Amino acid sequence: MPKTTQLFGYHKDHAKLTEFAGYEMPLWYTTTTEEHMAVRTKAGLFDVSHMGRLLVTGDGTQEYLEKQFPTKVGPQPAGKALYTLLLNERAGIVDDLVALKISDTEFILVVNAANASADIENMSEHLPSGVQLVDITGKTAMIALQGPHAQEVLQPLTPLPLRELKRLRCAETEVLGEAAVVSRSGYTGEDGFEIIVRDATVERPENALRVWEQLSKSSAPCGLAARDTLRLEAGLLLHGSDMDQGTNPFEVGLQWLLTSGKTGYVGSEAIELLRMSAIPLARRGVVLDRGIPRHGFDVLDASDTSVGTITSGTFSPVLRKGIGLCRVKAELSAPGGKVAVSVRGSSEEARLTTPPFYDETVYGWKRHAQP
Amino acid sequence: MGSSGYQIPDDLLYTKEHEWAKETNGTVRIGITDYAAKTLNDVVYVTLPKSGDSVTQFKTLGTVESIKAVSELFSPLSGTITTVNEELTSHPEMVNKSPYHEGWIAELKPSDRSEWRNLLTAKDYAEHLATLK
Repeated sequence: MPKTTQLFGYHKDHAKLTEFAGYEMPLWYTTTTEEHMAVRTKAGLFDVSHMGRLLVTGDGTQEYLEKQFPTKVGPQPAGKALYTLLLNERAGIVDDLVALKISDTEFILVVNAANASADIENMSEHLPSGVQLVDITGKTAMIALQGPHAQEVLQPLTPLPLRELKRLRCAETEVLGEAAVVSRSGYTGEDGFEIIVRDATVERPENALRVWEQLSKSSAPCGLAARDTLRLEAGLLLHGSDMDQGTNPFEVGLQWLLTSGKTGYVGSEAIELLRMSAIPLARRGVVLDRGIPRHGFDVLDASDTSVGTITSGTFSPVLRKGIGLCRVKAELSAPGGKVAVSVRGSSEEARLTTPPFYDETVYGWKRHAQP
Repeated sequence: MGSSGYQIPDDLLYTKEHEWAKETNGTVRIGITDYAAKTLNDVVYVTLPKSGDSVTQFKTLGTVESIKAVSELFSPLSGTITTVNEELTSHPEMVNKSPYHEGWIAELKPSDRSEWRNLLTAKDYAEHLATLK
């Protein structure tokens, strides 16, 4: 039997359901395209309660996390949302996650649903006495509100002045009177918020349902299908598809998460060796005029020789074209370069790009910063 | 509207793979059912056969690709393709909006009358859908 989230009572009446990472989740409510465009142009609402939430507390929390992440954690003020990685000793990517700093002695780590148990296992190995690592996934709910209208949709429900909450910042507050952690973050490429409702279990889901139902009056509920097209169009990686324990941060373009000069974290010795070596593969986007690239399809050069692999692909509702992320031989990876993708035996012309795939003056959280 | 919540017009015949067939003056128009269209959700590409192609009952005739996945399209009957719905090349979403009318896929000249008995009536198809839930 798959698990359900606190919001299942809503999904079962409104969505086409699918099983994902052991949870019965909404795949779509209306159509993927409609939900996708709602997020790009207005606001969309996602149940992300299936994502793992790990509470790390105790006096040595910051020092402990410093030894887990390749990204420098401190000294930072409370209220920082840090995107980072967990690596293994070979610098393979165990997971990507967001660490919300609630205080010097309290962090919430938001991790991929499918990796939560591997993360706990990995992190427990190094856990010092005095630091506690607790899985609070089942005790809290998490809702992502994404899109250019997200701030005006959420503001009436919370006393937190959202205009002052910058991107990748978080704060403890209330939403509809419920204790919540609100961060300005998400995985769609758009501006938006992620809301952790502090007290909501599957047995007592009312608090979370109340917040969801209120937000759904002025935003479009979106399923996992739109979540995937949105993250891909923004060029954001999905663990398990675009990267895994066998890939290192350099070959998927995540080297910007490695704080230079930082040592002493899990995987740091392997990272230092990789820094001194040539990386044979580079991550790029591909755009096709015809056909949709899918995970595992070959990327071909002019002589139909395989020079890379599609790691995830879909149809872009904004471009109305097939798009994908791939890993290609570094020497052939110049953006704008012409390659082909083997789509079920047919060689389709493709162009290498640097994602995001959309025009950043029109879509995405940076649009308002553009002149 | 069938009891299943999907449209299953009485005047069509169906395959278990969710195609429909309708004969008019010796030509058979084919397409995919409302159930197939709703299950695919967002059709973004349709690979059509060509006029003159020979097709075999229950064998591949083209593909329908949605945002999430590719599905093969099986011919309800054997015969020769006479016309394809070129509109679907630029407007694949017609398959979702109108699976039984504007979203038809192709027309064929059937070659074997006896094959009709292999197809399902609306009632049989509704029963078949009920077993899929």
